[in-house]
Amino acid sequence: MPKFDVSKDDLERLVGESFTVEEWEDLFLYAKCELDDVWEEDGKVYFKADSKDTNRPDLWSAEGIARQIKWALGKARGLPKYEVEESGVEVYVDERLSDIRPYGVYAIVEGLTFDEEALKQMINLQEKVALTFGRRRREVAIGIFDFDKVRPPIYYRAANKDEKFIPLGFKEELTLEEILEKHEKGREYGHLIRDKSYYPLLVDSEGNVLSMPPVINSELTGRVTEKTRNVFVDVTGWDLKKIMLALNVVVTALAERGGKIKSVKVVYKDFEIQTPDLTPKSFEVELEYIKKLAGVELSDEEIKELLEKMFYEVKLVDGKAKVRYPAFRDDIMHPRDILEDVLIAYGYNEIEPEEPELVVQGKGDEFIDFENAVRELMIGFGLQEVMTFNLTNKEAQFTKMNLPYGDLVEIENPISPKWSALRKWITPSLMEFLSLNTHEEYPQRIFEVGRATLIDESRETKTISESKLAVAIAHPRVTFTEAKEILDSVMRHLGAQYRIEEIEHSSFIPGRAGKILVGNIEVGIIGEIHPQVLENWGVEMPVAVFEIFLRPFYRPSL
Amino acid sequence: MELSYQEKVTLIKLKDLKKIKFEELVKETGLDQVAVMRAVLWLQSKGLAKLHEKQKKIVKLTETGRRYAEIGLPERRALMVLREKKKVTLDDLKDVLNEDELKPIVGILRKEGWASVKKEGGKLVLEITDKGIKAGERPIDAALKILVKKGEVEAGKISKLVSIKELKRRKIAEEESKTEREVEITDEGLKIAEKGLEIKEEVSFLTPELIKSGKWKEVEFKRFNIEAPVRKIYPGKKQPYRAFLDKIRRKLIEMGFIEMSVDSLIETQFWNFDALFQPQNHPAREWTDTYQLKYPKMGYLPEKELVERVKASHENGWITGSRGWGYIWSPERAMLLMPRAHGTALSGRQLAKGVQIPGKYFTIQRVFRPDVLDRTHLIEFNQVDGFVVGENLTFKHLLGILKRFAVEIAGAKKVKFLPDYYPFTEPSVQMSAYHEELGWVEFGGAGVFREEMTKALGVDVPVIAWGIGIDRLAMFKLGIDDIRYLFSYDLKWLREAKIIW
Repeated sequence: MPKFDVSKDDLERLVGESFTVEEWEDLFLYAKCELDDVWEEDGKVYFKADSKDTNRPDLWSAEGIARQIKWALGKARGLPKYEVEESGVEVYVDERLSDIRPYGVYAIVEGLTFDEEALKQMINLQEKVALTFGRRRREVAIGIFDFDKVRPPIYYRAANKDEKFIPLGFKEELTLEEILEKHEKGREYGHLIRDKSYYPLLVDSEGNVLSMPPVINSELTGRVTEKTRNVFVDVTGWDLKKIMLALNVVVTALAERGGKIKSVKVVYKDFEIQTPDLTPKSFEVELEYIKKLAGVELSDEEIKELLEKMFYEVKLVDGKAKVRYPAFRDDIMHPRDILEDVLIAYGYNEIEPEEPELVVQGKGDEFIDFENAVRELMIGFGLQEVMTFNLTNKEAQFTKMNLPYGDLVEIENPISPKWSALRKWITPSLMEFLSLNTHEEYPQRIFEVGRATLIDESRETKTISESKLAVAIAHPRVTFTEAKEILDSVMRHLGAQYRIEEIEHSSFIPGRAGKILVGNIEVGIIGEIHPQVLENWGVEMPVAVFEIFLRPFYRPSL
Repeated sequence: MELSYQEKVTLIKLKDLKKIKFEELVKETGLDQVAVMRAVLWLQSKGLAKLHEKQKKIVKLTETGRRYAEIGLPERRALMVLREKKKVTLDDLKDVLNEDELKPIVGILRKEGWASVKKEGGKLVLEITDKGIKAGERPIDAALKILVKKGEVEAGKISKLVSIKELKRRKIAEEESKTEREVEITDEGLKIAEKGLEIKEEVSFLTPELIKSGKWKEVEFKRFNIEAPVRKIYPGKKQPYRAFLDKIRRKLIEMGFIEMSVDSLIETQFWNFDALFQPQNHPAREWTDTYQLKYPKMGYLPEKELVERVKASHENGWITGSRGWGYIWSPERAMLLMPRAHGTALSGRQLAKGVQIPGKYFTIQRVFRPDVLDRTHLIEFNQVDGFVVGENLTFKHLLGILKRFAVEIAGAKKVKFLPDYYPFTEPSVQMSAYHEELGWVEFGGAGVFREEMTKALGVDVPVIAWGIGIDRLAMFKLGIDDIRYLFSYDLKWLREAKIIW
């Protein structure tokens, strides 16, 4: 999940204490992070942090990790407190944005001192939140501006495509349309707004452009440097609740570096809100529930203490924990979520694992046992078992086998055309195998017990992946007869009376192909591969094959 | 002393002959030369016979010599004509001598004193002498006779008659060196031979006829060179990864797990995601991370009641104690078809179908992810996962189950646990196991299925979900560093692969 680099010095500055790398490795676990890698650069130690929780954007920066570890170490407890003062700044939101990118929320953070690490972390957090939590900026896009260059009030409005400004990293003005064409970020994120009649624009009272959300900031205000002291934060998207959480994550992270948060009045056509809103959220959980599922002995008081390490304010009332938790978290849905925090604060590795005593009897699936018995039988014939992919393509299943296209389970969004369908028969997979081993000593005798996926409209998934046995034999003197000898023996070992009925099948040499019948049920196909098919696969050796369904032969063994 | 058939035959002959030339010994035994030589060498090594080797010069008749033996030496043929005509020119000798023989003939006749030479009218004329009339057998004639009779003769015997140099000059014979071998029986050999040796026929193959007739008792079996290399053959055998998976399956059954199975590799999003409480806007469900089918596109939802419960769980938490994801759940989205992306889908199906409580379940499932095939990524692979369900299960048990897997399956002595996140479990754990040769390996994950999921599926007790990552271990077992070899298309590698058990 989100991975990012943090400097050891920066973390220690934020936590207020130094640790060894090994100690950091353990401390990271409190922040649901894995220390993935450690390296040195210009005499400084860096960590690669791998955050495990996609619902905890507050843990996706050095500030977030440091805050969690500070609490876990008992340097602070309960709810983190952030003073929020009203700034008096107003942002007006244009109602024409309702089907373009309807919502924006804002904040000001003052009195910051950025150094290289602080800047890096700010950019990292902004990117990770927009990428993972914000689905590549579709649901959340974040802009941070040098507030000293902005003249409020500010307007978030629908703009004509020929309006102009200088996008970040450029020297000249471009129209909004041109930005989508020419700017790297325009090409990357332009699809989010391209088909709208207007584009969203954030401008100040003097008409200076701050940004075109969710694409790019302006060169004028959108460049935050080590000299920047006060920032204006803008978060846009489609879901007010979601973007408010993102705003809370960003401003509280900046506050961890000593910034003072000021709120902004956002004026919509029908309502107004003051953002950010850092009012804690509440939840209630039965203590008994936690104690029962945790499996470790915990008193009410211990649970309270553990929760306080995870930012909760806890009141113990009538066997319940009434908790309040910070506004930068939005992952508490169920008492389970609180249980996990108790356990993380306790430390997973502090708990002695214990095997449950359950009186149960193990049992393999009987059909799989049957398949295994068939595999054993095939090995007895001296055939080498192979295991090939179910994913394949139309060419392999039909064209190369000399067949016209037929029905196939196909993938809409394949990574490669080579892997764009599921096989409906295994023989082409065996042909591919043979084609990749033409330099290897013959005879080559192979088999696979695998799946072939067929369309069956009556089923829940409209498909069935039938268990099949496929055999291929290649050597200079092989004919239909050798395949039939094996088939005949297999049938006798399966206890089945079968017959072969000649068919015309363009994968096979005429007069050397048949369908295999048990009673009136067609259970498979046998034949000597047509030289055209051999040529298609680049196999210069005769090949005889058969392929049968296994399900019709299965009987419960008891 | 154990003697082979050939050794016995040879020793018996030597008993009578004592010391004999090797070639003659071969004839005497009636065996082939290589067999006799091998027998003699074995007898020598056992101290029963001695092989003497001597380098000798011999003289051998040439093709020319053989012709002279038939039609006579050139000077003999010339003498016949002289005896008849008394006086001849060289032209008269052309009938009996060829070009090469004609040139030196005057010199030879004069040297033997068989003719006098004069010039008459510019031509050489030869006239027979008394010595020529009386001429009898000379040493060279005798030498030729001996050579014709024996083919080759010791150089010393011939050189008593005529110099070897002379024979070589006249191209009658040539000289060669030859190793002369003689075999002699030792006293020990004689003792054994005189005691009597039982001779048996030698055979290469023990035939059914020999066994049936009992004749095998009368024959000797040819000794094989058992150190000689043999042809490579390949058995039919299990695919090595398959064999590894079979072992894991066996272990899990031994550990009390019941195997789950399913009839299609295709799954509805309902079972792959929704039934597991994975919200419809979850990043894992994005187009780039989840395959979708083009054809067939949509499947069916299960019974209405179940669908309603899942829908309510997603939207508002239903009666599960959760506030839910807070969005409008779309049945159409849940009907979309995809190749199954994880084995947990089967756990969801099993829980909905009904489970034994307490119960332990597992599956080894082929699953699919949109990835690029390379040495560290597969496009489809096998996942081993399942769940444990029971009235009083706790987080401690979850750790206990994971640890047992590490011990039983990876042979690990130490484990450590890390907090983790799965959309369908809370709390969630990742486990690293310490493997002697691989070091710390991420070996599995587990969590307690969220109540939003289990309650909606109709199960009201804790369900511990687990999955184990077996690929690193499989690669180690199979001795490969390219993950694609798990599904190897390389027949040579499969043929040479060591057995896995």
